Amino acid sequence: MSGFTVYSATGCVRCKIVKGYMDAQGMTYVEKDMKAEGKEDFQKFYAANRRQIFRGPEGVEFPIVTDGTAIRQGVGACLAYLYAGRELDGFFSAGTLHKEWVDGIHAAGGNPAAGEKFLAVVRLLKGNNFKLVVDTYGRNPALLEKLLAENLVDVAVMEVMASAGLAGAIFGQPLAQEDIERSVALVATAPEYRFQTTVVPVAEGGQARYLTPQEVVAAAKLLATVTRSKKNPYLIKLYRPVQPKDERLGELAPLPAAALLAYRSQARAYQVLAEAEKE
Amino acid sequence: MAYPSVYPTGVTIYDPKKCWSGYTIFQAKEAGALLIDMNGTEVQLWKGLHGFPNTILPGGYVMGHLGLRNNAFGMQDQTDLVQVDWDGNVVWKFNQYEYIEDPGEEPQWMARQHHDFQREGNPVGYYVPGMDPRVDGGNTLILCHKNLYNKKISDKRLLDDTIIEVTWGGDIVWEWTCSDHFDEFGFSEAAKNILCRDPNMRTAGGGMGDWMHVNCMSVLGPNRWYDAGDERFHPDNIIIDGRETNILAIIDKKTGKIVWQVGPEYDTSPALKKLGWIIGVHHTHMISRGLPGEGNILLFDNGGWAGYGVPNPGSPTGSKNALRDYSRVLEFDPVTLQIVWQYTPKEAGFVHPPDSNRFYSPFISGAQRLPNGNTLITEGSGGRAFEVTPDHEIVWEYISPYWGKQMKMNMVYRAYRVPYEWVPQAERAPETPIERIDVAKFRVPGAAPLGRKKETAIEGTKPYQGSTALCIAAAEEVDEK
Repeated sequence: MSGFTVYSATGCVRCKIVKGYMDAQGMTYVEKDMKAEGKEDFQKFYAANRRQIFRGPEGVEFPIVTDGTAIRQGVGACLAYLYAGRELDGFFSAGTLHKEWVDGIHAAGGNPAAGEKFLAVVRLLKGNNFKLVVDTYGRNPALLEKLLAENLVDVAVMEVMASAGLAGAIFGQPLAQEDIERSVALVATAPEYRFQTTVVPVAEGGQARYLTPQEVVAAAKLLATVTRSKKNPYLIKLYRPVQPKDERLGELAPLPAAALLAYRSQARAYQVLAEAEKE
Repeated sequence: MAYPSVYPTGVTIYDPKKCWSGYTIFQAKEAGALLIDMNGTEVQLWKGLHGFPNTILPGGYVMGHLGLRNNAFGMQDQTDLVQVDWDGNVVWKFNQYEYIEDPGEEPQWMARQHHDFQREGNPVGYYVPGMDPRVDGGNTLILCHKNLYNKKISDKRLLDDTIIEVTWGGDIVWEWTCSDHFDEFGFSEAAKNILCRDPNMRTAGGGMGDWMHVNCMSVLGPNRWYDAGDERFHPDNIIIDGRETNILAIIDKKTGKIVWQVGPEYDTSPALKKLGWIIGVHHTHMISRGLPGEGNILLFDNGGWAGYGVPNPGSPTGSKNALRDYSRVLEFDPVTLQIVWQYTPKEAGFVHPPDSNRFYSPFISGAQRLPNGNTLITEGSGGRAFEVTPDHEIVWEYISPYWGKQMKMNMVYRAYRVPYEWVPQAERAPETPIERIDVAKFRVPGAAPLGRKKETAIEGTKPYQGSTALCIAAAEEVDEK
């Protein structure tokens, strides 16, 4: 591959890692440092591709790599694209963590057939002394098991739905109940872990509704059953639409944070450490 | 100031004509929730029922707690909040706020309640005409604890204050966390500095910073300020104070934000200077509609030691840097901050300041406005509850005879007066006046009576003078400054 542009920032360690990888692989690229001479070029690039570039509360994460056909942001997603092209799509995204921590690693997100390549990229990240936060919603438990077996996971996070049917509808991918339960069991073995359920809108009978407290209770109960513990870290999260207009929302009004308290009260029957996310 | 080692307990003064008579409930130290009548008859002891505080609800119900978390691990955490009937049956209980596993203790759910709670129907926890608390339903606001870290305050583990609203069925439907609003309290850099280094660290649980120490929480209820369009005083809003920070604050129930505040500094405006430093405060609340003084703020300004700020000789580190060795009960206008009524050592008749600490409780304590305009004051550290008229006359006084064995004090956290009708089970006793004893003449058995066997006049002696000749400036000399 050739013709890459790397948007970087002065002093960005993650940018150096990606550039180092490209240098080692003999990949040619043009670097645009947004804090130096590349500032104007980045502004034009950002303005033209705003929807594809994640901007978190602390600004845009670097590096950003593009070859003119695809844009990848964040050290994990960039390395994955450089290593295997689109084959690893879904496994990595731009993260929100800084310093030694890297998130945006989705064990359930990609094609399991590309699992070995996914593992190779995760090893690459770990080899750069990053601490890794790996998330899942239940798909690809075999990949999660390999990650854990190789001590590649520092923190595991699982989005939990009690039933495969509900999870499939929400995440847009069919998955098996046994995979959810196996993933729950695996996540609980990570050095640090937490379970969470986001109270998302669900389409039902042509109408949208939020997950009910009963569905969250069922998730909490599943955790208790599989892990044989009522003391798992369990966060009930507030749904925040990613796009200005989320089609799943329909006519639903945003759920206030206080509404999660009732979910928490009920979930605590099965997970005593359940907490509700704040606004 | 020297306390005598022998003094009467029980009711020492009672003027039925000037009192707002009824039953008084308080936590008798290490005994239980004690209900007394105006002559001090112990009408009922709910034995072992903790009270932080105890309150009475119409129908002879009492609220309290079944236990206290082991002090080695928790700081003032009550295990639950319960409503108990006249016969001692628990008719309502909440404990499902946090699942606690303390070493060597049975794992259990705890409310971690402390200092206050309010049952729907009544904003302040004491009798207000037409605002009876619900007894068979309704939500309850509960002041609780939670341990957390907040790097804005300190890198140390904090003991934070939270307020939760709990339904009759036990669901938490609203929660407010004090540390989330740290930036809104307007601490000075000096205060932030010492808060960061020492957020009032206590030893329980391996150490935790009780940085704010909220010790009261009540609802504003309907009031004239809101009626006039001032949204800060929305009837649903909640008023608290922070003992350690000297802050009084109103929380917007909808947004959680602080919308009205007095303190932590009291020298930043002429009105605050006139109000004077409020230190280690307790029981800050708005006097409810229907009571004399409605809409004003009533509180017990303990004095003692509290606050964070610039170090001074009394506070080398800046921790608890405000000091005063007497108490004040203040009623003031929340808009102008003008004091409307007060009970201080001066109104108590003590020479100020040398004798001021005869009205002094450096911790706990409270004040309840009564329907006839009197105020029931709990001067807690000495176990004293007394009722004063608007003219500051003491018309009822009670000293608790209950000294703890674990803690050798007869302290009373907060006493409440309720109408006789709220306790229909009790037979109403006659109200027998108790004349104030002339302590100059009062003697214990065996002591000699007042009076000289011989009195000798010395020629040339001059008459005695007033207090300006003391080693320290006092009375009028202080007032003139």
